[in-house]
Amino acid sequence: MLKVENLHVSVEGKEILKGINLEIGAGEVHAIMGPNGSGKSTLSYILAGREGYNITEGRVLFFGKDLLEMSVEERAWAGVFLAFQYPVEVPGVSNIYLLKAALNGMRKFKGLDEVDAMEFISMVKGKMKDLEMDEKFLYRAVNEGFSGGEKKRNEILQMSVLEPSLCLLDETDSGLDIDALQIVAKGVNRLRSPERSFVLVTHYQRLLDYIKPDFVHVLAHGKVVKSGGPELALELEEHGYAWIDKKLAS
Amino acid sequence: MSVLHLPNAHYKSLVSAHEDVLLGDQISWLNGLRKKAADQFSEIGFPSFREEEWRYTNVTPIEKNKFTVPRESGSVDEAFINSVLLEGCYHLVFVDGHFQPTYSTPVNDLPSGILVSALSQAITENEALVKSLLDSVVETPALGFVSLNTALFSDGAIISIEENTAVEKPIQVAFISSKAGALTLSNTRNLIFAQAASTAHIIETYHGVEDECYLTNAITEVVVESNATLSHDRLQAESSKAYHIGGVYSRLDDKGVFKQSNYTFGASTSRCESHAILGEASDCTLNGLYVGEDRQHMDHHTRLNHAQPHATSHEYYKGILNDRSQGVFQGRIIVAQDAQKTDSKMNNRNLLLSDRAEVDTKPQLEIYADDVKCAHGVTVGQLDETAVFYLRSRGADEQMAKNMLTFAFANEMVERIEFKPLRLAVLDELLERFPQTGMKKEWL
Repeated sequence: MLKVENLHVSVEGKEILKGINLEIGAGEVHAIMGPNGSGKSTLSYILAGREGYNITEGRVLFFGKDLLEMSVEERAWAGVFLAFQYPVEVPGVSNIYLLKAALNGMRKFKGLDEVDAMEFISMVKGKMKDLEMDEKFLYRAVNEGFSGGEKKRNEILQMSVLEPSLCLLDETDSGLDIDALQIVAKGVNRLRSPERSFVLVTHYQRLLDYIKPDFVHVLAHGKVVKSGGPELALELEEHGYAWIDKKLAS
Repeated sequence: MSVLHLPNAHYKSLVSAHEDVLLGDQISWLNGLRKKAADQFSEIGFPSFREEEWRYTNVTPIEKNKFTVPRESGSVDEAFINSVLLEGCYHLVFVDGHFQPTYSTPVNDLPSGILVSALSQAITENEALVKSLLDSVVETPALGFVSLNTALFSDGAIISIEENTAVEKPIQVAFISSKAGALTLSNTRNLIFAQAASTAHIIETYHGVEDECYLTNAITEVVVESNATLSHDRLQAESSKAYHIGGVYSRLDDKGVFKQSNYTFGASTSRCESHAILGEASDCTLNGLYVGEDRQHMDHHTRLNHAQPHATSHEYYKGILNDRSQGVFQGRIIVAQDAQKTDSKMNNRNLLLSDRAEVDTKPQLEIYADDVKCAHGVTVGQLDETAVFYLRSRGADEQMAKNMLTFAFANEMVERIEFKPLRLAVLDELLERFPQTGMKKEWL
């Protein structure tokens, strides 16, 4: 599904990613772990299409197409979804408005008619129930005045409405208490399917207790320095990121 | 320093040409007032951009266009008039500055305790009331446009709410400029009197047939007596080729509450004054939203004159400027020496959507008392790039994402409008300015 080849990225002349290689197959869950400043958030932003990064080398293929050539919205339409670490507050735009605009934008791209208003409401309400979200959130401005946990749940709600092929979750566990984390993880697990892949960007192993990854990659100094199965995350948890540096040195 | 402009021969001649056909031309005190104003206009003429208060707004095109005063109203489609009338209101309608009884609420349908009438009728039936209100609030030294208005006003609304009376429905006063094809000038004067402990909501709206070039010169004088609560909304949706000079001049007695909001969308050049003189422990809110596109020029001047102690004022103006439009905001707060314990807040926020759009914003505080709270803030910014990225990453295309954020910026003011028909009318004006988008009213 996704193939990242020798990706080099710099910001204002400073190289942040120094040759990333990553291959994600359909239905797989990959965790990308790393210390602060390792470039892991940069990677998810680049995949979603954020501007301000200078891609100096390498390419990214999504279903065989050049992802980096596509605009932000084209990537969304093609099935890329980024759950933000800090979801943006959009005062004045209601949640339901954004969901409708997003879903219909995607349907238009696929040559489908606008979603039926009644069906849409009942579909969204069903998904909100799964995420233990009060229906009143639908009519509130996007993320405005939401708590940290509510914002993250809202990201998962958007994800479940848009049904992307590739879900990028950037530090989704940050700022969540254990109850909220469980609800969010349940929401993610419900979305797992043989056609849908996940990339979990996280600093801590904690999230991976609830969402079991198939692969774990350690990103440090702008490179994937180690890849392995779920056990790698546990080792990291035990020894800390310094352990990676030590191993690299030896 | 005030550099006075040469009096304009065309407009001077207008005054003398009309003096015998104007409303109340048989009434000597009114003739006297008009004469005085005409003399004043002859002396001071239109303001020059060399005057500090008019630095950013050039009215030379008004002089060059030589607008003329129509003796009667031109024709307007019935459908157009009906489209601008808000549901659930009492109505007074004027076309080209002339009263239209056909579209206005008949006196018999009005509740007791209120007077809602055209000045042209009130001048015979309630002359004393007109006399007591006319030219009673507007500040001197008057502006050329005010003098011209006093000298030439053809009609307008007089609304008086008796003591302890609460008017259930809002009162809409609609001013429409017809498809006259001639450069018409409408001078209208409104007099609003909220007597002690009364409550009312008045909505002034200004409309014109699209593509018509005309000049509206509209002044409203407001008196809010003790413990009265008055809301006043003003929607300016003139033709995009029109000129609009307006002013709301108010006086609040002790514990009076006045909330004045401006929604400015139309006219190629517009200027609106909102001036309030605050009595003891009164409360005044001045809000505004202006949305400019193409080469529109929108100027708002507000003045909060804290003359007495313990009064509070809140001012919040937001502007969106697109293309090559220009916005001007001047917010002046004057706190007199005796006005201790004044609490005043002013905020003006602007969103520039294009490199060629411009805004000139100037808060001005003149504080002569020592125990006061005055806060002011001004911002001029662009759309938040992170928010644009966020919305695009959800599948909104770039234009739609920008429009949603722009809409959200403006909607903060729209949401405050409690009266739904007005809120929807303002929303319509706003959404009309987002043409290429999927912003859909039914989704909001």
